[in-house]
Amino acid sequence: MPSVLITGANRGLGLGLTQLYLADGWQVQACCRLPAEAVELQELLENSEDRLSVHLLDLENLQTVEAIKDTIGDNPIDVLLNVAGYYGPTIISEPGGLQIFGTTDYGVFEKTFHVNVIGPMKVCETFVENVAGSDQKKMVTISSIAGSIGENKSGKLYPYRASKVAVNAIMKSMSIELRDREIIAAPLHPGWVRTDMGGPLADIDAATSVSGIKNVIEGMTMAHSGRYLVYDGSELPW
Amino acid sequence: MPTALISGASRGLGLGLAEVLLADHWLVHACCRNPEASERLKLLKTEAEGRLLVHTLDVLDHSSIEALASSLGGQPIDALLNVAGYYGTPGLTEPGGLQQFGNQDFDDWMKIYRTNVIGPMKMCEVFVENVAASKRKIMISLSSELGSIGENDLGKMYAYRASKAALNAIMKSMSIDLSEKGIVAVSLHPGWVRTDMGGPEAPCDVQTSVAGMKKVIDEISLKHSGKFMVYNGSEMGW
Repeated sequence: MPSVLITGANRGLGLGLTQLYLADGWQVQACCRLPAEAVELQELLENSEDRLSVHLLDLENLQTVEAIKDTIGDNPIDVLLNVAGYYGPTIISEPGGLQIFGTTDYGVFEKTFHVNVIGPMKVCETFVENVAGSDQKKMVTISSIAGSIGENKSGKLYPYRASKVAVNAIMKSMSIELRDREIIAAPLHPGWVRTDMGGPLADIDAATSVSGIKNVIEGMTMAHSGRYLVYDGSELPW
Repeated sequence: MPTALISGASRGLGLGLAEVLLADHWLVHACCRNPEASERLKLLKTEAEGRLLVHTLDVLDHSSIEALASSLGGQPIDALLNVAGYYGTPGLTEPGGLQQFGNQDFDDWMKIYRTNVIGPMKMCEVFVENVAASKRKIMISLSSELGSIGENDLGKMYAYRASKAALNAIMKSMSIDLSEKGIVAVSLHPGWVRTDMGGPEAPCDVQTSVAGMKKVIDEISLKHSGKFMVYNGSEMGW
């Protein structure tokens, strides 16, 4: 039975991916900050036939990553899926949410980097042996088109763009450094999705995004490692 | 007389840029953490005919940036040059300095990000009106080839690459957001230079790098804004 570890699994894309992988017969390690408050995950637990485990993970507290590693031990992880992310206290579609030049909140800037970049780096380092010991050997981090410098036509969003470009950079370095272990590593843009982060005006619904993401991950080979993938099978420039 | 403000001006590329700009009769605000400790900066001051003004500034200490802005008031700054940067500890050419996978110091990651991304962001926000009030209206952040995701074929150096890619992202957003003020915002790769950071094996000397960067500064215009420029006049992919 293939196994996936998903961060940010309590809502939005992480929850959607958890549901999809469970429905496809996978073993799912679902990680989130507040498992006791993750009502949807708790409901899934009841019908998961022991294929779902829920873990406490807070990417601002890296010890929680190591605690999950202690629980999982050497069990293989076919797909390591970094979904947990942070935009800021005000989402993009709300007043004041555009992170405009001259209004930068540097506390938010640091937190965004910690959650969106240091977090995935720590998760990949911690579980690399589990991935290397699996059949599929895939590490995917949910990035954003906001992390494409080449596609940036509208400016703004400084802390968020910076974090997503940075996470693209580390996934590219992993694709090179982990190649001889046959690990496939890539960032993936999920589309602009109607989630709590994306807001109600976003382009696509979560179901469209997560089914696309799962398809893209299924089709990933070494040839896709180190590329900037998109949920619909296309590719973005850096 | 054109005016430059340089962070990290006590040594290496920052000092070299101060020298070539002074030689071309610019007024130079040279900023560094500890002016008293830089003998070369002191010597330069004695030869500068009053055109070199030395200021205490630490890009990690935002209050020091604001204090300098208060003391400069509305004086125009033709070229804001973010040179201060940090590779990490140990340095690039020291044992263990390659920031290999599995070997991250995440406290150092935050210092690298604060110095290389958040510092320049704060500098640009604080001095934007001074730049807008000048004739040349230039904001340049020294980036690195290591911040090019597309050019990365060696892997490793996670924290440093992430910071320079993120720096490129914010300069690109500034090029868009500040275009209506007529401000030119770019990232500039100085070459791999024999400085304290670059190490003794680097192929380029400081003189070649700063002479090239001076030419870039002389010739830069709005059509270059938002690009990833190189000291030798070429351009780099993201």
